[in-house]
Amino acid sequence: MSIAKTALKGVTYHNTQKTSPGYTLFSTYNYDVWLINMEGYIVNHWRMPYSPGSHQWLLPNGNLLFAGMIKSHEEMGLPVEMTAIGGALLEVDWDSNLVWKAMIPYSNHDIRPMDNGHVMYHSYYPEGILPDEIASRMKGGIPGTEFDGRVWGDMVHEVDREGQIVWEWKAFEHLDPELDASCMLENRTLWPYINSLWICKDGNVLMSLRAANEAIKVDYKTGEVLARYGKGKVFHQHDSIELDNGNIMVLDNGNHRPVYAPNYSRVIELDTNTDEIVWEYKADFPPDFYSPVCAGAERLPNGNTVICDSWSGRIFEVTYEGELVWEYISPFIGHQPNMTTTMMWRAHRYMADYPGLVGKKLNPKKFPLENKLFGPDTFNKHFTPSIF
Amino acid sequence: MSFARTHIKGLVFSDSRMAYRGLTLFTPVHGKGVWLIDMTGKQVNQWQMEYEPGCYGELLPSGNLLYGGKVDDGPLSDMEGAGGILQEFDWNGNILWEYQSHFLHHSFHRMKNGNTLVLKWIELPKKIAEKVRGGEPGSEREGVMWEDMIQEIRPSGKVAWEWIAHDHMEPDAFPRCPLCPRDTWLHANACIELPDGNLLVSFAKINTVAIIDKQSGDIRWHWGSPGELAHQHSPTMLENGNILVYDNGYHSRGLALSYSRVVEVDPRKNEMVWSYEGPEGGELKMLFYSSMYSSCQRLPNSNTLICEGTTGRIFEITMNHALVWEYVNYLPLCEPSPIHSRSYPVYSAYRYGINYPGLTGIKW
Repeated sequence: MSIAKTALKGVTYHNTQKTSPGYTLFSTYNYDVWLINMEGYIVNHWRMPYSPGSHQWLLPNGNLLFAGMIKSHEEMGLPVEMTAIGGALLEVDWDSNLVWKAMIPYSNHDIRPMDNGHVMYHSYYPEGILPDEIASRMKGGIPGTEFDGRVWGDMVHEVDREGQIVWEWKAFEHLDPELDASCMLENRTLWPYINSLWICKDGNVLMSLRAANEAIKVDYKTGEVLARYGKGKVFHQHDSIELDNGNIMVLDNGNHRPVYAPNYSRVIELDTNTDEIVWEYKADFPPDFYSPVCAGAERLPNGNTVICDSWSGRIFEVTYEGELVWEYISPFIGHQPNMTTTMMWRAHRYMADYPGLVGKKLNPKKFPLENKLFGPDTFNKHFTPSIF
Repeated sequence: MSFARTHIKGLVFSDSRMAYRGLTLFTPVHGKGVWLIDMTGKQVNQWQMEYEPGCYGELLPSGNLLYGGKVDDGPLSDMEGAGGILQEFDWNGNILWEYQSHFLHHSFHRMKNGNTLVLKWIELPKKIAEKVRGGEPGSEREGVMWEDMIQEIRPSGKVAWEWIAHDHMEPDAFPRCPLCPRDTWLHANACIELPDGNLLVSFAKINTVAIIDKQSGDIRWHWGSPGELAHQHSPTMLENGNILVYDNGYHSRGLALSYSRVVEVDPRKNEMVWSYEGPEGGELKMLFYSSMYSSCQRLPNSNTLICEGTTGRIFEITMNHALVWEYVNYLPLCEPSPIHSRSYPVYSAYRYGINYPGLTGIKW
């Protein structure tokens, strides 16, 4: 089933009355970062020297922070679970000129800009590898699937503007090898497989542990695990974030969910005191929204939620009641090791009054070629689905 | 790839020089009918049913249709693959034969001698169930773990032969899926008679296909666990003696990237000799995926007909993986069930060549 033949591209649905309008930022696996408006017109295009390791943020100063992949996991001789390996942190201005750069050879998955200008990032350094004693007590995973006999543990680092590491956290020093056990069907190559970082309002760090099917809050000062969220509710989740109301929102990918039913993903909001689910979005027909990899969600000012359905290369927005009000299918095809794909890692929506966008000329006419190739005037013009 | 709203439905692609010419029979999961279409997607025949499928229909060499229906008021009617009634119809939809049991599920097979193989749920004795490992303790169905019984039913409805899993398989011999609830033990989902009279069975929850010796009931051969298959469906034996099976890839080990495969295994060497893992042009593996249902059939011209169940997509590929025919089900027979997506899923599909005895004398 070829992608181009069978799917609509660009903005496929837009209810102008109900969206929380703004600009949507995402990257594709071919050196490009795109900012689009609600109609799907390209209003900025950054060209990067590297393919993305994970994703990118538009900073309040209008620059772009980007995790670039210098070598793939294969070239580095690392396991496939580390496919989001990075290597470079880049800050570029609106026109893709380099402003700042840090080389971080084992960076992986999430990057998080901090208020003080530092960047927090996740990594697999050899010093994070579990000592044999801890590896032997680490529960879960398929026995014998260690990577060269060892379990790589996750680390989190904070790098300052000079490129110096000023803070670090080693997972195996703080996790409980039984309580934070891996999923029974995962390989024992990695533990606990951190895939997102978030700085909470109280200054502590929220991390999503993919293999352990939970999110944890880590004390920034002591490194201690302060709380665990979502155990038994989320499966190989991504993007645990704190909302303005203090609740935690998680994208529950849903692979290896302990049921026998078609896969689906959902976004849930958890009360941090009770760990109860207080809000949930899943598709009307749940398998319509399923991303076995990546994916994330953001709460918008009017209560809507914008969701990145990474595997399908789809970004969509739903109301608090779960009504679809905007949908964008990426027309960009990129390359990952052993893969040709429209997938993206994560998308972000910025409101028009976001400081980083103030004073910027967001005019699609600045990108005539890009919009001619990938804009809404081109796509779907010659393609009408036969049956809806 | 499950997002169905933007996909083309109906006949998507047809290469009449390369495709194996014949009629395609399929049963939409959320309907009450069996459809036979030609290579252009045009309806040639349709059987309207009283019961929803449990799980599919098959055209017999006699030209009759053998159909598994789902009876709603059975004690296990909410189990995956629930059936309850087998019915045989002639070309015009007249009922010729019927067999009922609340415990029928998934698969059935008309044998050479005219008898019918069926799968039935039966309670696994508690003492044995306690020894089965895998799955969350307490997730049994009201305390009961159900196991598989295979029966050979005479046209009169009498049982000619019977096989109960725990008589021949040790509770801990095959690792059971650690994530699936303990409502069933092995969860057979297909059983067919081989040319030598032995039976080829797929046990979904232990990720294993096996050959059962018809005389002794012993397992003569098995493959798939640990690590090869994941909740597979639809095994068949090819003329070269190899086994073709649809490996759904649900609850697969490792990174849990969701993709299906169709694999051909040489049972003499336990070696995979051919596989299809999605479209050509890069490893677009996850574009071919059905967590449940699904079937595969090797055709006489060496092409393979594949039914990607949850998306309702039926397609034919050559040995070199070239797509030569594709049809996506969209028959709006009834409201799709909310848990099964806006796609119109299909449990399995079969291609019958123009010379198939069951089609003799049929105009199309």
